[in-house]
Amino acid sequence: MIGIWALLGALVVTGAVGAVLRFREGRVTKVAARDVPDEVRELLAPDAVTLVQLSTTFCAPCRHAKVLLGDLASRTEGLHHVELDITNLPAVASTLGVLRTPTTVAYSAAGTELLRVGGVPRRDALLDALRPHLVSPT
Amino acid sequence: MPKDAPVDPRGPRFSAWMTTVVLAVVLLTGWWRLLAAQTVLFALCAFVSLKLNPWGHVYRHAVQPRLTPTTEREEAAPLRFAQGVGFVFALVGTIGYASGLTTLGVVATAAALVAALLNAAFGLCLGCEMYLLIRRYAPALARPQ
Repeated sequence: MIGIWALLGALVVTGAVGAVLRFREGRVTKVAARDVPDEVRELLAPDAVTLVQLSTTFCAPCRHAKVLLGDLASRTEGLHHVELDITNLPAVASTLGVLRTPTTVAYSAAGTELLRVGGVPRRDALLDALRPHLVSPT
Repeated sequence: MPKDAPVDPRGPRFSAWMTTVVLAVVLLTGWWRLLAAQTVLFALCAFVSLKLNPWGHVYRHAVQPRLTPTTEREEAAPLRFAQGVGFVFALVGTIGYASGLTTLGVVATAAALVAALLNAAFGLCLGCEMYLLIRRYAPALARPQ
Protein backbone atom coordinates (compact mmCIF):
# COMPACT_ATOMS: atom_id res chain seq x y z
CA MET A 1 0.00 0.00 0.00
CA ILE A 2 1.68 3.12 -1.27
CA GLY A 3 -0.71 5.29 0.77
CA ILE A 4 0.51 3.93 4.13
CA TRP A 5 4.14 4.56 3.22
CA ALA A 6 3.28 8.04 1.98
CA LEU A 7 1.51 8.76 5.28
CA LEU A 8 4.46 7.48 7.33
CA GLY A 9 6.85 9.46 5.12
CA ALA A 10 4.79 12.61 5.56
CA LEU A 11 4.80 12.17 9.36
CA VAL A 12 8.60 11.75 9.41
CA VAL A 13 9.12 14.74 7.11
CA THR A 14 6.82 16.88 9.26
CA GLY A 15 8.72 15.94 12.41
CA ALA A 16 12.07 16.72 10.77
CA VAL A 17 10.97 20.03 9.23
CA GLY A 18 9.26 21.08 12.45
CA ALA A 19 12.37 20.28 14.51
CA VAL A 20 14.72 22.13 12.14
CA LEU A 21 12.48 25.20 11.93
CA ARG A 22 11.97 25.28 15.67
CA PHE A 23 15.73 25.09 16.19
CA ARG A 24 16.43 27.90 13.72
CA GLU A 25 13.49 30.08 14.76
CA GLY A 26 14.67 33.35 16.22
CA ARG A 27 18.39 32.54 16.09
CA VAL A 28 20.90 35.26 15.35
CA THR A 29 22.94 34.60 12.21
CA LYS A 30 25.61 36.47 10.31
CA VAL A 31 25.72 36.43 6.54
CA ALA A 32 28.15 37.77 3.94
CA ALA A 33 27.73 41.47 3.15
CA ARG A 34 25.06 42.26 0.57
CA ASP A 35 24.01 45.43 -1.21
CA VAL A 36 21.56 47.51 0.80
CA PRO A 37 18.45 48.32 -1.30
CA ASP A 38 17.45 52.00 -1.42
CA GLU A 39 14.09 51.20 0.19
CA VAL A 40 15.98 49.89 3.21
CA ARG A 41 18.75 52.51 3.24
CA GLU A 42 16.32 55.40 3.61
CA LEU A 43 14.87 53.81 6.76
CA LEU A 44 18.18 53.69 8.63
CA ALA A 45 18.70 56.01 11.57
CA PRO A 46 21.82 58.19 11.11
CA ASP A 47 23.03 57.78 14.69
CA ALA A 48 21.73 54.42 15.91
CA VAL A 49 21.58 50.73 15.14
CA THR A 50 18.43 50.08 13.09
CA LEU A 51 16.48 46.82 13.19
CA VAL A 52 14.77 46.55 9.82
CA GLN A 53 11.95 44.04 10.15
CA LEU A 54 10.86 42.65 6.79
CA SER A 55 7.21 41.57 6.81
CA THR A 56 4.43 40.60 4.44
CA THR A 57 0.67 40.93 4.62
CA PHE A 58 0.34 37.16 4.88
CA CYS A 59 2.58 36.73 7.88
CA ALA A 60 1.04 36.06 11.29
CA PRO A 61 4.30 35.88 13.32
CA CYS A 62 5.33 39.27 11.91
CA ARG A 63 2.92 40.90 14.34
CA HIS A 64 4.54 39.15 17.30
CA ALA A 65 7.97 40.20 16.06
CA LYS A 66 6.77 43.79 15.66
CA VAL A 67 5.52 43.99 19.24
CA LEU A 68 8.69 42.41 20.63
CA LEU A 69 11.11 44.53 18.61
CA GLY A 70 9.15 47.74 19.12
CA ASP A 71 9.29 47.19 22.87
CA LEU A 72 12.99 46.28 22.79
CA ALA A 73 13.87 49.38 20.76
CA SER A 74 11.88 51.69 23.02
CA ARG A 75 13.74 50.42 26.09
CA THR A 76 17.20 50.32 24.53
CA GLU A 77 19.21 53.45 23.92
CA GLY A 78 20.73 53.72 20.45
CA LEU A 79 18.38 51.11 18.96
CA HIS A 80 15.76 51.92 16.36
CA HIS A 81 13.08 49.61 14.90
CA VAL A 82 11.26 49.93 11.58
CA GLU A 83 9.01 47.54 9.72
CA LEU A 84 9.12 47.27 5.95
CA ASP A 85 6.28 45.48 4.17
CA ILE A 86 7.87 43.72 1.21
CA THR A 87 4.71 42.02 -0.07
CA ASN A 88 5.00 44.14 -3.20
CA LEU A 89 8.77 44.62 -3.13
CA PRO A 90 10.14 41.26 -4.29
CA ALA A 91 13.35 42.96 -5.49
CA VAL A 92 14.21 43.93 -1.91
CA ALA A 93 13.70 40.32 -0.78
CA SER A 94 15.92 38.91 -3.50
CA THR A 95 18.67 41.54 -3.05
CA LEU A 96 18.82 40.74 0.65
CA GLY A 97 18.41 36.99 0.11
CA VAL A 98 15.34 36.86 2.34
CA LEU A 99 12.99 33.93 1.75
CA ARG A 100 10.80 33.95 4.85
CA THR A 101 9.14 36.55 6.99
CA PRO A 102 9.61 37.93 9.48
CA THR A 103 13.33 38.40 8.88
CA THR A 104 14.96 41.14 10.90
CA VAL A 105 18.22 42.69 9.70
CA ALA A 106 20.27 44.90 12.02
CA TYR A 107 22.23 47.73 10.38
CA SER A 108 24.86 49.97 11.91
CA ALA A 109 24.48 53.74 11.56
CA ALA A 110 26.96 53.51 8.69
CA GLY A 111 24.62 51.12 6.84
CA THR A 112 26.59 47.89 7.34
CA GLU A 113 24.66 44.72 8.07
CA LEU A 114 25.53 43.51 11.57
CA LEU A 115 23.36 40.42 11.89
CA ARG A 116 19.97 39.02 10.99
CA VAL A 117 17.28 36.92 12.63
CA GLY A 118 14.77 34.66 10.86
CA GLY A 119 11.41 34.24 12.58
CA VAL A 120 10.32 35.88 15.83
CA PRO A 121 13.57 36.94 17.55
CA ARG A 122 14.58 35.71 21.00
CA ARG A 123 14.83 38.87 22.97
CA ASP A 124 17.81 38.14 25.20
CA ALA A 125 19.89 36.47 22.50
CA LEU A 126 19.27 39.37 20.13
CA LEU A 127 20.16 41.98 22.74
CA ASP A 128 23.37 40.12 23.64
CA ALA A 129 24.39 39.99 19.99
CA LEU A 130 23.60 43.68 19.47
CA ARG A 131 25.27 44.96 22.63
CA PRO A 132 28.80 45.37 21.21
CA HIS A 133 27.36 47.54 18.43
CA LEU A 134 25.26 49.84 20.57
CA VAL A 135 26.72 53.27 21.27
CA SER A 136 25.82 53.33 24.94
CA PRO A 137 25.27 49.76 26.13
CA THR A 138 22.47 49.33 28.62
CA MET B 1 -12.88 39.82 -2.10
CA PRO B 2 -14.54 40.41 1.32
CA LYS B 3 -12.23 40.77 4.29
CA ASP B 4 -12.64 38.51 7.32
CA ALA B 5 -12.33 39.74 10.89
CA PRO B 6 -9.32 38.57 12.91
CA VAL B 7 -9.85 35.17 14.54
CA ASP B 8 -8.95 33.29 17.74
CA PRO B 9 -5.64 31.65 16.69
CA ARG B 10 -6.60 28.32 18.27
CA GLY B 11 -9.47 27.90 15.79
CA PRO B 12 -7.16 27.46 12.78
CA ARG B 13 -4.99 25.04 14.81
CA PHE B 14 -8.05 22.89 15.51
CA SER B 15 -9.06 23.13 11.88
CA ALA B 16 -5.56 22.06 10.82
CA TRP B 17 -5.81 18.91 12.98
CA MET B 18 -9.10 18.03 11.28
CA THR B 19 -7.58 18.67 7.86
CA THR B 20 -4.65 16.42 8.79
CA VAL B 21 -7.07 13.61 9.70
CA VAL B 22 -9.01 14.03 6.45
CA LEU B 23 -5.83 13.93 4.37
CA ALA B 24 -4.55 10.88 6.30
CA VAL B 25 -7.82 9.05 5.55
CA VAL B 26 -7.41 9.96 1.87
CA LEU B 27 -3.88 8.54 1.83
CA LEU B 28 -4.92 5.32 3.58
CA THR B 29 -8.02 4.67 1.50
CA GLY B 30 -7.32 6.42 -1.80
CA TRP B 31 -10.89 7.77 -1.57
CA TRP B 32 -10.51 10.65 -4.00
CA ARG B 33 -14.04 12.00 -3.53
CA LEU B 34 -13.13 12.93 0.03
CA LEU B 35 -10.09 14.76 -1.30
CA ALA B 36 -12.31 16.53 -3.83
CA ALA B 37 -14.55 17.67 -0.98
CA GLN B 38 -11.50 18.94 0.93
CA THR B 39 -10.40 20.79 -2.22
CA VAL B 40 -13.77 22.56 -2.41
CA LEU B 41 -13.49 23.45 1.28
CA PHE B 42 -10.01 24.94 0.78
CA ALA B 43 -11.33 26.95 -2.18
CA LEU B 44 -14.31 28.32 -0.21
CA CYS B 45 -12.07 29.40 2.68
CA ALA B 46 -9.41 30.89 0.43
CA PHE B 47 -11.56 32.67 -2.13
CA VAL B 48 -14.88 33.36 -0.37
CA SER B 49 -14.68 33.51 3.43
CA LEU B 50 -13.15 31.69 6.37
CA LYS B 51 -16.62 31.67 7.91
CA LEU B 52 -17.57 28.88 5.52
CA ASN B 53 -15.15 26.49 7.23
CA PRO B 54 -17.32 23.92 9.10
CA TRP B 55 -14.44 23.13 11.48
CA GLY B 56 -14.56 26.76 12.56
CA HIS B 57 -18.18 26.27 13.63
CA VAL B 58 -17.34 23.03 15.43
CA TYR B 59 -14.51 24.88 17.19
CA ARG B 60 -16.72 27.78 18.27
CA HIS B 61 -19.53 25.59 19.56
CA ALA B 62 -17.77 22.53 20.97
CA VAL B 63 -14.16 23.48 21.75
CA GLN B 64 -13.90 27.20 22.47
CA PRO B 65 -16.40 27.19 25.40
CA ARG B 66 -14.13 24.68 27.19
CA LEU B 67 -10.98 26.76 26.80
CA THR B 68 -9.85 29.82 28.71
CA PRO B 69 -10.85 32.88 26.69
CA THR B 70 -8.03 34.68 24.94
CA THR B 71 -7.79 38.21 23.65
CA GLU B 72 -5.14 37.13 21.18
CA ARG B 73 -6.27 37.53 17.60
CA GLU B 74 -4.76 36.48 14.32
CA GLU B 75 -5.22 38.33 11.04
CA ALA B 76 -7.32 36.49 8.47
CA ALA B 77 -5.18 37.33 5.42
CA PRO B 78 -2.34 34.87 6.21
CA LEU B 79 -4.86 32.12 6.96
CA ARG B 80 -6.68 32.61 3.70
CA PHE B 81 -3.42 32.62 1.79
CA ALA B 82 -2.49 29.31 3.45
CA GLN B 83 -5.89 27.86 2.49
CA GLY B 84 -5.07 28.87 -1.08
CA VAL B 85 -1.80 26.94 -0.94
CA GLY B 86 -3.71 23.95 0.45
CA PHE B 87 -6.21 24.30 -2.38
CA VAL B 88 -3.49 23.98 -5.04
CA PHE B 89 -2.04 20.81 -3.49
CA ALA B 90 -5.46 19.24 -2.92
CA LEU B 91 -6.53 20.07 -6.47
CA VAL B 92 -3.41 18.45 -7.94
CA GLY B 93 -4.01 15.46 -5.66
CA THR B 94 -7.63 15.08 -6.72
CA ILE B 95 -6.73 15.29 -10.40
CA GLY B 96 -4.00 12.70 -9.82
CA TYR B 97 -6.25 10.19 -8.07
CA ALA B 98 -9.23 10.74 -10.37
CA SER B 99 -7.24 10.39 -13.59
CA GLY B 100 -5.37 7.26 -12.49
CA LEU B 101 -2.06 9.04 -11.83
CA THR B 102 -2.15 7.64 -8.31
CA THR B 103 1.48 8.50 -7.53
CA LEU B 104 0.81 12.16 -8.30
CA GLY B 105 -2.28 12.03 -6.10
CA VAL B 106 -0.37 10.44 -3.22
CA VAL B 107 2.57 12.87 -3.43
CA ALA B 108 0.38 15.98 -3.57
CA THR B 109 -1.84 14.74 -0.73
CA ALA B 110 1.21 13.87 1.39
CA ALA B 111 2.62 17.39 0.78
CA ALA B 112 -0.67 18.97 1.86
CA LEU B 113 -0.67 16.74 4.95
CA VAL B 114 2.85 17.89 5.89
CA ALA B 115 1.75 21.55 5.69
CA ALA B 116 -1.45 20.93 7.68
CA LEU B 117 0.33 18.92 10.37
CA LEU B 118 3.13 21.51 10.69
CA ASN B 119 0.43 24.06 11.35
CA ALA B 120 -1.46 21.81 13.80
CA ALA B 121 1.47 20.42 15.77
CA PHE B 122 4.00 23.26 15.61
CA GLY B 123 1.76 26.27 14.99
CA LEU B 124 3.81 26.94 11.90
CA CYS B 125 2.05 28.29 8.83
CA LEU B 126 4.36 27.10 6.09
CA GLY B 127 2.46 28.84 3.29
CA CYS B 128 2.54 32.19 5.09
CA GLU B 129 6.21 32.11 6.07
CA MET B 130 7.24 30.91 2.66
CA TYR B 131 5.19 33.56 0.88
CA LEU B 132 8.33 35.15 -0.53
CA LEU B 133 9.64 31.80 -1.72
CA ILE B 134 6.31 31.02 -3.37
CA ARG B 135 6.22 34.46 -4.91
CA ARG B 136 9.66 34.02 -6.40
CA TYR B 137 8.98 30.63 -7.95
CA ALA B 138 5.23 30.82 -8.62
CA PRO B 139 4.34 34.52 -8.99
CA ALA B 140 0.91 33.72 -10.45
CA LEU B 141 -0.10 31.87 -7.29
CA ALA B 142 1.02 34.63 -4.95
CA ARG B 143 -0.55 37.57 -6.75
CA PRO B 144 -4.36 37.12 -6.69
CA GLN B 145 -4.45 37.72 -2.93
